[in-house]
Amino acid sequence: MRTPLCALAEWLPGEGPALLGAHRRICLRCQAGAARERVLRRALVGLADEQVPAPAGLHPRVLAGLGRQDAADPRRALVARAAARHAAAGGLAAATLLALVAGLARRHSRALG
Amino acid sequence: MTAGEVQRAEEELLARARAGDREAFGDLVGRYQDTVYTLALRLVGPDLAADVAQEALLRAWRALPRFRGEAAFGTWLHRITVNSAWTLRKRARRQATEPLEGDFEDRGLPPERAGELAEVRAGLSRALAALTPGQRAVVVLRDVYGWSNAETARELGITEVTAKVRLHRARLRLRALLAGAR
Repeated sequence: MRTPLCALAEWLPGEGPALLGAHRRICLRCQAGAARERVLRRALVGLADEQVPAPAGLHPRVLAGLGRQDAADPRRALVARAAARHAAAGGLAAATLLALVAGLARRHSRALG
Repeated sequence: MTAGEVQRAEEELLARARAGDREAFGDLVGRYQDTVYTLALRLVGPDLAADVAQEALLRAWRALPRFRGEAAFGTWLHRITVNSAWTLRKRARRQATEPLEGDFEDRGLPPERAGELAEVRAGLSRALAALTPGQRAVVVLRDVYGWSNAETARELGITEVTAKVRLHRARLRLRALLAGAR
């Protein structure tokens, strides 16, 4: 009979808590499920040997589409853009802070004067 | 040709292709196009597979000067194929011209693969096609191609926990689909 523990053992990925491990060791239903999973995984591994021939037009289409090669790392541009964004945000924050401090200082000096 | 000679010939082709030799790259395409197409087919189905394979091979050509040989060329191509599959799938979803969730099977299988094994594999391919694209990608990369959880997560832009959960759900769904097909 399928118990709530069976359902939980099936639903949770990985080993889960010790209680589920103990359940799996004695539950024939869960052991059958684990055996089915092993069969499935073997079948999936078997698919790796299989190669589907590419369509005949692929090779000429690729060769016709070859443009220029690019040795520059595209991540460098991304990093530079991110750095520029951060610098701009930092500058804006610093300017706002300075303006606030200046405003407060002016108000303070006016109050004293 | 021994395995060593094949390897040396490939390294030579790679060196020439890196230097911009289109003919050498053409030879590499000839060697790897079936592998790339098969992975694309498993990730996105037959409607987009040829486009994904083409995009992956063109990206590989553009990026070849940056290939340092830290991984095998085949592994590097697989990564590019996964990235291309994701880009093209997103683009196709945005344009939403055709549903990508429909059934598909390996239409390119040669006819001599008749019999029980082909039947099991065809059933498995149909079941894979019924998964969500995210589940399918994880199960194909982890269980078919033997990638680690970390590699799979990195290439798909998800966390390792998400990869593990998706894999578990995908296996459960596959088991249910295969049991239902019997």
